Amino acid sequence: MQIVIASGKGGVGKSTVTASLLYLLKDEYRLIAVDADAEAPNLGLLLGVTEWEEEREHVGAKIARINTETCIRCGICQMRCPYECIYVDDEGNYVVNELTCEGCNVCGLVCPVPGTITLEQVRSGVIRKATTKYGFPIISAQLDVGRPESGKLVTEEKEWAKQIMKEQNLEHMIVDSAAGIGCQVIASVGGADVAILIAEPTPASLSDVQRVYKVVQHFHEPAYLIINKADINPGFTGLKEWAEQEGIPILGEIPYDSAIPKSMSMLRPFIEAFPESKASQAIREIAEVIKQEIIK
Amino acid sequence: MQIAISGGKGGTGKSTVAINVAVELAKRFKLILADLDVEAPNDHLLLGVELQNEEEVNQFMPKFDYSKCIKCRKCAEVCEEHAIITLKDGTPFLMPTLCSGCRACEIVCPVPGAIQEGSRLIGHTYVTPTPYGFTLVTGKLREGEERSMPLVVAAKKRLKNLDYELLIVDTAAGTGNTVSKAIEGSQLLIAVTEPTPLGIHDTELILQLGKLMGIETWVVINRADLGDVNEVYRRAEKYKAKVIAEIPYSENIVKTYVSGTPIVTTDYPEAEIFREIAERIYEFLRG
Repeated sequence: MQIVIASGKGGVGKSTVTASLLYLLKDEYRLIAVDADAEAPNLGLLLGVTEWEEEREHVGAKIARINTETCIRCGICQMRCPYECIYVDDEGNYVVNELTCEGCNVCGLVCPVPGTITLEQVRSGVIRKATTKYGFPIISAQLDVGRPESGKLVTEEKEWAKQIMKEQNLEHMIVDSAAGIGCQVIASVGGADVAILIAEPTPASLSDVQRVYKVVQHFHEPAYLIINKADINPGFTGLKEWAEQEGIPILGEIPYDSAIPKSMSMLRPFIEAFPESKASQAIREIAEVIKQEIIK
Repeated sequence: MQIAISGGKGGTGKSTVAINVAVELAKRFKLILADLDVEAPNDHLLLGVELQNEEEVNQFMPKFDYSKCIKCRKCAEVCEEHAIITLKDGTPFLMPTLCSGCRACEIVCPVPGAIQEGSRLIGHTYVTPTPYGFTLVTGKLREGEERSMPLVVAAKKRLKNLDYELLIVDTAAGTGNTVSKAIEGSQLLIAVTEPTPLGIHDTELILQLGKLMGIETWVVINRADLGDVNEVYRRAEKYKAKVIAEIPYSENIVKTYVSGTPIVTTDYPEAEIFREIAERIYEFLRG
């Protein structure tokens, strides 16, 4: 089974909750964790991974380059670039901004001087594998800064995870997705059996989780909700009302607990670092519901 | 003039810093705040305003005229997104959500009119007046769309028609090319982080990006009492970035955040920290 954790908004607790859930499910099930937030990967850190066993470079991104020797400075490439990534430098040369180029090759196609603009393959990032101290493996991707194609990196890491599942006869893949609703999230949600949404009771988090829920609906996946920092905004009923309206079961509520940031600094799941904290009691109950309702 | 607020990790307080600094600096500049977190735009919620002046962002999409198509497959070959598939006989088909609207297919098509102008709605931009003397420009990607880059570009295009002295850009989480697109053109990059190993890890990525882009970078540590700030100072120094403020975890900040009231408009003591950040920016911009 493939379970994806998503929230739309960043910083609501996807990785912290995922790390503790993994910890609680690891003894009963054979798991693999996938950190699918390739632009800000954190799950490995939270699971105490310090060294990676295997690292695969992902060479997939394409970046346009302009040969200034043969360039006739006609400016057509700059005019036609759909993403406005070509600029003129101090010496009057047309240059591609490699940190914003999408690699579509329109500049190369419209350039009147053959061979002047070429599309070059560059490294877009790395995908790494480790075995956590808890026994289960983790796959984590990291996009190189300023590169496109983070979604493709996530697709690739899920493929690798599937391969490991076969080799090691694992049962469940838990995917910790990125913030947002774009390519990384679509690659994370696509192919999952169940989505667990995480939100906090704030208007911003509600707005973002509603958006990511639409993505989940697009893939016809059943969704569940965990309310994190449940007590930070008493009187805000919008989140629960929305879940009720949409018929999204609430798996549980985790209160704001200073044990969580403390455990993050210790690089340990909060359930392990502070098993008696309020948050840990809540996540234990949530894990039980997941075992009964979702994994079965 | 343009400054960008970013931070790598999500939920570190980018938008909170952006809206409060905007309210303060709007007293001194004709100002626009651009919410370029197009996958999860929230600045309007934090400002307590409803998005206005909606404009559609429609993206080019090839429409094949099969009566003219000679099935040469050039469109499919040139499509870097593999959005065009061809049948055995060469008939092209488009998979719309993969299409980036770049027009490469149209450029290589040898038959005039075989690829016609189609379009697809990929999101919206908004221009919203705020009660704080500045205008908010927002890009919002439509759910189900994969590519945020065209929306960031569309929002930036809409900005070009507006009049301002200072533009503050609030970016998405992450460090990929859509974030660098949002930051592009800034004279100053402010990375908002939290002092946990996770926040520090992601901040290092944004500091790398700032360095690659050659932009002066400052760091603001949010929830500074929830971790080891010394480590943030050490990392910042490595990239010659100045740490300019520490914001403590505060229920007052949470209260104003959820009620859509910028904290600088209140008497809470924490408001002073945001006013000081704005003052530092003002001094920087004045030179």
